[in-house]
Amino acid sequence: MSLDLSSGLKKKIEEIVSHYPKKEAALLPVLHLVQRERGSITAEEERIVAGLLGLHPIKVREVVTFHTMFMQKPLGTYHIQVCSNLTCSLLGGEKLIDYLQKKLGVRIGETTGDGRFTLSQVECLGACEQAPCMMVNFNYYGHLDRDKLDAILGGLA
Amino acid sequence: MSPAAEKILTRNFGLESYFKIGVYRKHNGYRAQKKALLEMNPAQVLEEVKKAGLRGRGGAGFPAGLKWSFVPQNVDKPRYLCVNADEGEPGTFKDRYILAHNPHLLLEGIVITAFAVGIHAAYVYIRGEYEAMARRLEGAIAEAYESACLGKNIMASGFDLDVFVHRGAGAYICGEETALLESLEGKRGHPRVKPPFPASVGLFQCPTVINNVETLANIPSIIEHGAQWFLDQGLPRDGGTRMFGVSGAVVRPGIYELPVGTSLKKIIFDHAGGLKPGKTLKAVIPGGLSSPILRADEIDIQMDCDSLAGAGSMLGSAAIIVIDTESSIMDVLKTVAKFYAHESCGQCTPCRVGTTWIHKIIKRMAAGEGEAEDLDAIVRLAFNIKGKTLCPMGDAAAMPIISMVQKFRTELESSLRKM
Amino acid sequence: MVKVVIDNLPLETQPGLTVLKAAQQAGISIPHLCYHPAFIPEGSCRMCLVEIEGLPKLELACSTVVREGMKISTQSPRVREARRGVLEFLLADHPLDCPICDKAGECKLQDYYGEYGLFESAFREEKEKKDKKIRIADNLILDRERCILCTRCVRFLREVTKTQELGIFHRGIRSEISTYEAELVQNNYSVNLVDLCPVGAITDTEFRFKTRAWFLKQMESICPLCSQGCNIYVDYHPGFPRIPGTAKVFRIRPRANDTINGHWICNFGRAGYLLLEKDRWMNPVWRKGDRETILSWEKALQVLAEKLRGLGASREKASVSLLLNSGLTNETLFLTKKIFKDGLGLEKIYFADPRPGTGDGLLLQPDRTSNARGAKEMGFSLRQVGLEDFSQGLDILIIIGPYLAELFSPAELKPALDPIGTKFLLTSRASGLESLVDFVLPASSMNETSGTLTNKDGIIQRFSRVFGPCGESRPEWVFIRDLGKELDIPIPGMPSLTDLEAVFRELGHEIPFFRNEPSWKS
Repeated sequence: MSLDLSSGLKKKIEEIVSHYPKKEAALLPVLHLVQRERGSITAEEERIVAGLLGLHPIKVREVVTFHTMFMQKPLGTYHIQVCSNLTCSLLGGEKLIDYLQKKLGVRIGETTGDGRFTLSQVECLGACEQAPCMMVNFNYYGHLDRDKLDAILGGLA
Repeated sequence: MSPAAEKILTRNFGLESYFKIGVYRKHNGYRAQKKALLEMNPAQVLEEVKKAGLRGRGGAGFPAGLKWSFVPQNVDKPRYLCVNADEGEPGTFKDRYILAHNPHLLLEGIVITAFAVGIHAAYVYIRGEYEAMARRLEGAIAEAYESACLGKNIMASGFDLDVFVHRGAGAYICGEETALLESLEGKRGHPRVKPPFPASVGLFQCPTVINNVETLANIPSIIEHGAQWFLDQGLPRDGGTRMFGVSGAVVRPGIYELPVGTSLKKIIFDHAGGLKPGKTLKAVIPGGLSSPILRADEIDIQMDCDSLAGAGSMLGSAAIIVIDTESSIMDVLKTVAKFYAHESCGQCTPCRVGTTWIHKIIKRMAAGEGEAEDLDAIVRLAFNIKGKTLCPMGDAAAMPIISMVQKFRTELESSLRKM
Repeated sequence: MVKVVIDNLPLETQPGLTVLKAAQQAGISIPHLCYHPAFIPEGSCRMCLVEIEGLPKLELACSTVVREGMKISTQSPRVREARRGVLEFLLADHPLDCPICDKAGECKLQDYYGEYGLFESAFREEKEKKDKKIRIADNLILDRERCILCTRCVRFLREVTKTQELGIFHRGIRSEISTYEAELVQNNYSVNLVDLCPVGAITDTEFRFKTRAWFLKQMESICPLCSQGCNIYVDYHPGFPRIPGTAKVFRIRPRANDTINGHWICNFGRAGYLLLEKDRWMNPVWRKGDRETILSWEKALQVLAEKLRGLGASREKASVSLLLNSGLTNETLFLTKKIFKDGLGLEKIYFADPRPGTGDGLLLQPDRTSNARGAKEMGFSLRQVGLEDFSQGLDILIIIGPYLAELFSPAELKPALDPIGTKFLLTSRASGLESLVDFVLPASSMNETSGTLTNKDGIIQRFSRVFGPCGESRPEWVFIRDLGKELDIPIPGMPSLTDLEAVFRELGHEIPFFRNEPSWKS
């Protein structure tokens, strides 16, 4: 892994930083972009981001560990995030999680051996009218059942 | 209220490419903004919104115009507007619809609001999971800048406003207004002690207005048609419509924009098609997960802030979760407790420890190792959280527990015995 | 002034005070954990909730500002119940470590439970398991199970030292205090974290498991390791009555003083203070070749007085040298001045002080002496001694303090000191100088004497004897007074010289600077 961010990303970061009167306020948007490029936010990324925003790296980690969407280790190509909140549970969401665990051969929080799928349980995704639903990377899928899950996973490269 | 009630926010949702500025403008978009910037002054705009009785649509129901009026105008600091698009309250998805289908309506509301309060920079704090909506909003913002509906000298009015999108990253607490501010400043989402309130000490210690997406989306129609028209759409002191989000065991889950004060029974059985075939109603959570639960015999109630508060619940985010008799309240309790334990920011003692303690007890009960005293215990602990925490999430965590145990005690006790 | 009522007690308080501070002024203590007077209120522990008439919810005493007419109750049933509730939550997530925890006896959680709790545990679940022995600094250990997340430690490192070595990771019940990667807490104020922590989550390896807080007594004192004069508590074991020499200082803690050191002291002073009792010299000793003969004080004084008298009036000035140090108290220096300078007319009075160090920008000063200002105001020139000062045909050299050994090596000193007729050394601890002199007299340590010191800003502070003496040691001022008596040097206005306070008053009469009443505490 190279020791620095791509020049395109650094330019984008500069632009984002200009949106705020204080550099450190850009932390969340910057972390999203860095995670997209680097796959995760390890100590190395923390130091780079801290340097760019004039922060002590510890403050970067404080924010990274506070939020569920920032990963300290890289995930599989497809992050399957199944909602475990009320409406999805009422409509069978838990059974779908069990099904996925069996189908993929992993437990919640784990990644398949081939590095393709990571399975997570998340809180309400804000798509309750399509319950039970899940988010794969940033794509929402709703009205799920086993057949639909098979189709969706089968369609992922 | 007229039988064929006006659709204020969701009108034209079905139109193709309504999220594009060209289509939006063709259907009278940005007319209110023009009127506000070119024909009114900020005080007039603020007065109109105050008279319209627009209550916050995020959950707290605080009157928007009143909140704006708390911002001091004579302080030598910039003022900020934060748009709360964090939409984390389980059961709620209305803002997602506005962001996806009608982002320009939101932007128009933002501009008029900023004009009324003297704000020149607005940040839309949008939850990280709504990446698709964030991109759509960014596209709309770019279009608005190009068409002089945003940026410098908007519509040649001399008014400047910049709008920036700021993504969250998965933390329900960041929907609480002061936690949102902390997160916007690049810190952990720890709510602040109030007072001081954001209107005087907010983003970067400057006077700040924080409003929900749906709240702001109502502003253009208030300006275009006037406060009285807005009140006529709803109730005398609580004007307009609400985007009721129905989910759960109903035939047609979805968004139903209806006048404030519409009957809950009507929303569930007329608009959402009633319970799915073969299912009977057991309970309804009327205003998002944090609102006290209603039994099936309690749903003959008007959906407005005051009526629900009077019945011991709350309108909250108007997110209606319909629970049928095949679902066990113990499972509902477990899901609720897990959620709050997971989302507690950890700053203050009662919430940090209490939510996890309650969750542990409920897990034990659901696994068959509980007793009736455990039900008393979780209510007692919930009362030790309620009203004692640094931010309202403590109450949000406590109220569902208390209401579920109080109203479904018999069922809960019998499910303990069954195991 | 603002009129409020707290617990039915009418009070007048300055405007702008919080309920907590106003109550404190009236002698009413409101329990609190995350609040600390050095930081802005945090509001997270919820321990300080009080009832304010007219307000529906309980409010925080630490951050609510008093308003005219406020009626506050700190003991109502609602308040008691709320406190109990907070304690119950804290204890539910807290390990039962009291039997092995250093903080026992001075732990806020224990104290508050005893005062406001006294309930039986209703917690039947599994407690959270966390790491218990994390080294966060060379001498500090963090126990995450004991941590109540008051965040005082994090805020201290952010706002006071501005070094930010600690942060809060994760959220909810999994929140934890942590250092970053391999970076430890490394600043001159880290041990303040132990005092700051209300429970035993942060402990000092120097103190861990060594004693129990309830065995220790405390004494107010002043740190003598630099010229800042930070106020301290000396926590000591008084020793066992029938076994001499068992009194021991176990640790130093900061004593709050708004003018001088705020709420903190530095690690340098903290560690240095404990070394004051190291290698103590116990008895007056006469060295001849390799032989050491223990003398009595009286004999030693007689010998010195005889030698001084034997020189004859005209030769005294030229062949006697006195080596002082800037750590001597005002009283000692004053007596020295009266007897040696004014009385005997000595001119060769020099100073041997510890070398200056680097200041740290906060409390620690480059000047590592505790009374240089006092010495200056008293008219001493503070001229540091050089080796050439010993080569002027001296008959008698009197050295007070061990610091000559820090300035020159024994190899350098031996040829310089050997030619001198008789050498007297008055010191509290062994330093290597002992083999170079003829008479070694044991001086008391700071813990065994009393007096006043003047800090760099001219603030005069008094300290009192903690315990002792150790062995036959005597305070320097006693030695000088007794020498004066032996030499029959009359000191006008000071007939008895038995009372230190009398000495100080006399000093004030003679030198106006010392007329300021010495402060005991701020």
